[in-house]
Amino acid sequence: MNVIETKKLSKFYKQADQDVKALNNVSIKFQKGEFTAIVGPSGSGKTTFLNSIGGLDSPSSGKVFIESNEITKLNSNQLIDFRLKNIGFVFQSYNLIPVLTAKENVEFIMLMQGIVKSERNKRSIELLDSVGMKEQLNRRPNQLSGGQQQRVAVARALASKPKFVLADEPTANLDSSSTSNLLDIMNKLNKEENMTFIFSTHDQRVIERANRIITLEDGKILSDVNVK
Amino acid sequence: MLIKIAWRNVWRNKRRSFITIVAIFIAVFLAIILRSLQLGMYDNMINNVVGSYTGYIQLHSKGYWEDKTIDNAFEFDQATLLNIQKIDGIASILKRVQTGALSSYKDLSKFVYINGIELDKEQRLTDWNKRLIDGKLLTNDSKSIIVAKGIAKYFNLKIGDTLIFIGQGYHGMQAVGAYPVEGVIDMKNPSLNNYSVFMNLQTAQDFVSAYNLITNLIVDKEQYFDENKIVEEIKSNINTQYNDVMTWKEMTPELDQLIEADSAGGILIIMILYMIVSFGIFGTVLMMTQERFYEFGVLISIGMKKSKLIITLIIETIFLSFIGIMSGVIASTPIINYYHYNPLTLFGAGAEQLEAAGFEPIIPMMNTYDIALAHSLIIFCISIIICIYPIFIIWRLQPIKAMKR
Repeated sequence: MNVIETKKLSKFYKQADQDVKALNNVSIKFQKGEFTAIVGPSGSGKTTFLNSIGGLDSPSSGKVFIESNEITKLNSNQLIDFRLKNIGFVFQSYNLIPVLTAKENVEFIMLMQGIVKSERNKRSIELLDSVGMKEQLNRRPNQLSGGQQQRVAVARALASKPKFVLADEPTANLDSSSTSNLLDIMNKLNKEENMTFIFSTHDQRVIERANRIITLEDGKILSDVNVK
Repeated sequence: MLIKIAWRNVWRNKRRSFITIVAIFIAVFLAIILRSLQLGMYDNMINNVVGSYTGYIQLHSKGYWEDKTIDNAFEFDQATLLNIQKIDGIASILKRVQTGALSSYKDLSKFVYINGIELDKEQRLTDWNKRLIDGKLLTNDSKSIIVAKGIAKYFNLKIGDTLIFIGQGYHGMQAVGAYPVEGVIDMKNPSLNNYSVFMNLQTAQDFVSAYNLITNLIVDKEQYFDENKIVEEIKSNINTQYNDVMTWKEMTPELDQLIEADSAGGILIIMILYMIVSFGIFGTVLMMTQERFYEFGVLISIGMKKSKLIITLIIETIFLSFIGIMSGVIASTPIINYYHYNPLTLFGAGAEQLEAAGFEPIIPMMNTYDIALAHSLIIFCISIIICIYPIFIIWRLQPIKAMKR
């Protein structure tokens, strides 16, 4: 089953009087349970692609379907709601809410979804336990290391029970031990819960773990390889 | 959780929040103190002139105020009087006969204003005990008079001396009488001191041959009660074809205008204060918005509705304002209460100036809750209006652009 499908997805913008093609007629499908790395040099269109399939950026042309729903038709408010219910985000710089504890950060997404307190409480503890952060439930982001913050971010991304998780260079700010730890957790969630992960990355350690590697260059798919 | 986030966000930058709260505190504190002082002073001025003599509300026969002659006296029936007494906010009602007369003593003469009064009730309005500076007060059956200190000085009167009055009586009757002086009072107002003579209501009615008639019905109200509301209720109880009901503002417009003009100055100062504090709050909200632009982008990316983000920011602003407002109100309350019961006493030129204008040289602070409430609400509304800026910013925010900054 296709979780995501793009049809002739293009994104153009002007930069210093030059037309830049960030994405050029990208048509691709992602299946449930894939662990995909999107690689390519800087400016190849990785982040633009993630933003487009995540409903954060509107394409210049083409269509994006999430489980056969065309999200390119939705307005900004509908997209916010769509993201909340369907997509988990993991950012390069973690982006946790600084005034909330680890547990509250995870609960926050569920609160936005209108989930009752008792369930929020139970699920947030379970999720933080699954990413090895049960001991740091009540710590705020500034009391956690980068690796710990990113693990909380992964737990937060999963809190809404999304259809897939988009991670934009999630290991870029992590040391090798934290990177390995984070990848173990995401691998485990991918295998045990069949969660779909799509990364943009330069990191060889992430690429090595992926079961599909898509290489982008100048906004076009250069290669699409199933590794395992 | 939105409230929790808002509360914690307030304390993210403690120094900035503290400065904003202090700015709001100072504005509210000064506004309340300044206004209580001003309104307290006006209330005292009104009490000096209005509360102690003209009354807050007067009822006359139609046309009396334009032509104050005894021929415009009227009979007020007891049933209507009892109905009026039941109206909310009325402290007391007293009858008067007021008429002009020529007074003479030895080889001096002078125009005076004779007031026939109900002694017991008048005591409650004017506090005669405190104003008596010589002799004694009238009794219900006394046929003597009390004169204001300006008249006593003009004629060089002593207690027991007799003044002769000649005036116009009711419907062409001649009004002539000789009355011994029983006391001298200070009306605390130069004009009233120069012209006021007081006698029993019955004695005055006999003097002008206006038996059972009065010229003025004085209505005294409870403190801080709206006189316009009372006037409306009185009007619904009387026949307005024959009687006029007037508030003190209509009877003494010069005092009202003096207060209005002075009050405008005070309001201007408070407006400047508000403007300063508005910019203070706006500065904070501006910084709060700008420095968290990236964070807003993230929150919207992960699925926070813009409306909820706006609500969080509004709650943050409300928290800041509320803390500042409450501290201002709490700090000003004991000061206001103290100076309400222990008024500031003026000395020197300032005191002389007030006394010359007919007012007591004291400034009590007005301790009504509505001053604090009004200024708190104004600051609160300013804060809410300032929130339009972040609302506008968030409403137009595109998460990708916000996260690229």
